[in-house]
Amino acid sequence: MPPVEAPADTGAVLTVSEVAVRFGGVAALSDVSLSVRPGTVTGLIGPNGAGKTTLFNVISGLQAPDRGTVHLFDTDVTSLKPHRRARIGLARTFQRLELFGTLSASDNVQVGLESGRKFWDLPRLRRLFPGRARRAAGDAGQPDVGGGRSAAACDQLLAGVGLEGSGAQQSSAMPTGSARMVELARALAIGPKLLLLDEPGSGLDESESTALGDLLVRLAADGMAVLLVEHDMELVMRICDHIYVLDFGDIIASGSPEEVRNDPMVQAAYLGEALPEPPSAPDGTGAGTVAGEEGRS
Amino acid sequence: MSNFLQYTIFGVMLGAGYAIAATGLVVTYTTSGVFNFAQGAVGMVAAFCYWELVAAHNVPVLLALVIILVVGASIAGALVERVLMRRLHGASAERPVMVTLGLLVILTGVATLVWSPTTERQVNNMVAGQFRLAGINIQYQEVLIIGVALAVAIALRALFYSTRTGYALRAVVDDPELLSMSGASPNRMSQYGWVLGFMMAALAGVLLAPTQTTGISIESFTLLVVNGYAAAIVGRLKNIPVTFAAAIAIGLAENYVVNYILPHLAQNLQPDITYALPMVFLFVALVTLPSVRLRAVGRLTTVRTPRVAGGYESLVAGAVFLVLVVVAAVVFNGTVVQGTTLLDLGGLVMTLGIVGLSLVLVTGYSGQVSLCQFSFMGIGAFVMGKVSGGGSVLGLILATAICAAIGALIALPTVRLRDLYLALATFAFADAVAQGFFNDGRIYGTGGVTIGRIVVPGLSFGGDRAEFILVSVFFLLSALLVLAIRRSLFGRRLVALNDSPAAYATVGLNIGVTKVTVFAIAAAMAGLAGALYGTVQGVVGTTDFDIFPGIIFVLFVTIWSIRTVSGAFLAAVTYVVLNQAYPNGIGLFAGAGIILIGRAAGGILGIEAIQFPLPWVKRTPAPTDAVAGARVGAVSAMEGGTSAAS
Repeated sequence: MPPVEAPADTGAVLTVSEVAVRFGGVAALSDVSLSVRPGTVTGLIGPNGAGKTTLFNVISGLQAPDRGTVHLFDTDVTSLKPHRRARIGLARTFQRLELFGTLSASDNVQVGLESGRKFWDLPRLRRLFPGRARRAAGDAGQPDVGGGRSAAACDQLLAGVGLEGSGAQQSSAMPTGSARMVELARALAIGPKLLLLDEPGSGLDESESTALGDLLVRLAADGMAVLLVEHDMELVMRICDHIYVLDFGDIIASGSPEEVRNDPMVQAAYLGEALPEPPSAPDGTGAGTVAGEEGRS
Repeated sequence: MSNFLQYTIFGVMLGAGYAIAATGLVVTYTTSGVFNFAQGAVGMVAAFCYWELVAAHNVPVLLALVIILVVGASIAGALVERVLMRRLHGASAERPVMVTLGLLVILTGVATLVWSPTTERQVNNMVAGQFRLAGINIQYQEVLIIGVALAVAIALRALFYSTRTGYALRAVVDDPELLSMSGASPNRMSQYGWVLGFMMAALAGVLLAPTQTTGISIESFTLLVVNGYAAAIVGRLKNIPVTFAAAIAIGLAENYVVNYILPHLAQNLQPDITYALPMVFLFVALVTLPSVRLRAVGRLTTVRTPRVAGGYESLVAGAVFLVLVVVAAVVFNGTVVQGTTLLDLGGLVMTLGIVGLSLVLVTGYSGQVSLCQFSFMGIGAFVMGKVSGGGSVLGLILATAICAAIGALIALPTVRLRDLYLALATFAFADAVAQGFFNDGRIYGTGGVTIGRIVVPGLSFGGDRAEFILVSVFFLLSALLVLAIRRSLFGRRLVALNDSPAAYATVGLNIGVTKVTVFAIAAAMAGLAGALYGTVQGVVGTTDFDIFPGIIFVLFVTIWSIRTVSGAFLAAVTYVVLNQAYPNGIGLFAGAGIILIGRAAGGILGIEAIQFPLPWVKRTPAPTDAVAGARVGAVSAMEGGTSAAS
């Protein structure tokens, strides 16, 4: 039974230590600790209002914690601004879509791809008046600034999330499922080492959801660390290497999918609803680790 | 000592007046999420109505107060919410700002028509007489204002924290959907907020009117409330007790500075310092505010994005434009309209067009509202006039560079904050510069600054034709620049930042740098426009760059389309034509226009029915609310999932 990684875990991409956030009198997170290792998909599950999105906001820098620290690799990023964290290698998507709605899907990805560039970058300047051919290839008058290599990378990313040929669409006009995939492609475009996904599966049909799972597994196999918030338990149980269960701002359990599924506290949190079986899980035997016992020691 | 006490009482009284207006702003903001830029104008109209009733028609004071506060202000507030503001749900973030500015110019415009600015209107104290306490004279009016302000603050606090309606009022901005689930109507709450806000603005107006020793004037009384802005900002637009305390502190500080510091300064500096005070308070308030947290709000844009012309397309269009300019220069040379040559008017259109382009960049693309582009124009014209005798190329360059630097300085303290604060800072800056700089005869000269036409060795732009062509070329270059920026990496970032600041930061882009950069570029463009405006006019004076013309121009750009080059150009044409034909009614046109346009993000040019089809452009269907609808579906599906899980 793998223990809850302690904050001192040296190989971890992300280490969250004893983070607490209060909104007025309500504790959104109380002493949450977790860590995410490279090359794994880590799930973060829990009922609505458990604090999952708040934790994502703390990790990505949109919410300052009242207490506790966040480390990316060995760097303490607790007081760093979101864009500094992104430059270290953190990317995220949002539960409520945060697209650049006036831009096309491919422009959304381009902004991510070129986020490392200075805008006064000289080679860019000659593209301000692109040739006829390129403009004709452009869409609905939205200029194609990228050109060349980054355009290819953009197409590749969109294809990777199943959106071949949709690059020209204005992103706010896309259905939710596709819009979520644009967000994912944009997040991938910055070349992250840690990817936070906030319910990427909602709005996807079954086959899309399966494709998403396969994609995440592939990304992890390439060495990326993925932290996944998801309500689709089938998906979570199928692809996660490790799962944390958050309830009322507290990690109540963590462990492998089968351990978590059989944890009495988790079952209580989900009011007795049976969680789906992990795909190739043997009959669940051991109880999951209760974070309260080890995580905070 | 008795002097000190006297100043203190007066300062507290002044602060109490600001406090009433400021808490009104806070109430409206907390309940509707809209900062009412017309707050001062509402107070001004109330003060003039009070004068009209009491001083001109001998209506008893109490009856007049009932008519103005209980009947007039509440009905006006309810109407404004119902007719103007409620339609703006889901509009782009800058639109509520624009509509309240429209209300501001309408109210000042109507007031100017009804109450001639040349008549002096002195309002007497509501309660006459005074008493002596601790060796100083205290007027009953002062006690009245302080008492009323305290009563208002206590009553509001009680309303917000001890009643059910109060809880609903506070909840409505955070989450209207959630509020409506709890049985309260967000619209109703918003309406209460507007009614209360209007009543408090009117109350502040009638109470402060007697303190204006030289009589009430439309412009200065409307802008008196800028001090209230600073107080509301210290209270972070939500905390009534802090707002109240800040207003008192500002009233005191103002009165102490006026009485203790000013007498020690050179006589000719005194008015400038007085005018600059509200601006200083506002900037101090902005700098001391804690950074606002970036919030992921799930904002979606469902408007059609205006087409951006490609590189060759804009070059071809530019060449056609240039040909038309030359033809116009030849055909209309010597034509005079109402004492001004047509080509000079055309030159004004071109220079204002450049200002419009700067607004397209800063407000249209990046979503930040700037209300001080005319101030940059004025500074640019001033620099142009002062550098090597006016009309020099060096002057043009310096005007541009200095305005860029000032622009960056103004934007810097606000980048950490919500976009509204930039609008406020630019409003205060425009006010301070207009009052303390442009209006000052010693700086601008009693007859204004003489600039003259541009002289380049070997070339003369002395004639109207050459001058018109020159400024047209500058407009054309600016337009090509703005389009090139929009097509560039930077332009895409501006639009992205406007769409979702949270996502912008989380892909690794620095919001502050982007905002300061775009604001500085826009300021530089306005400075250049001002320098050119000076060369067209020859002499620029005190009233060219006032705050109200600046606001009216922003409204015209928004009405036509703040995201397109043609919008900027048509706004300049409209402004110059109306300013020539109806100089007194131009604000009414602008106000009515912005109200009619309402939430339509693309302005007049964005309306589908009137769009001119370009044969070489493939049209895409306008985005629908597909995502929004789908999102609601997804949310309910999620909730369904949860309830199944629980």
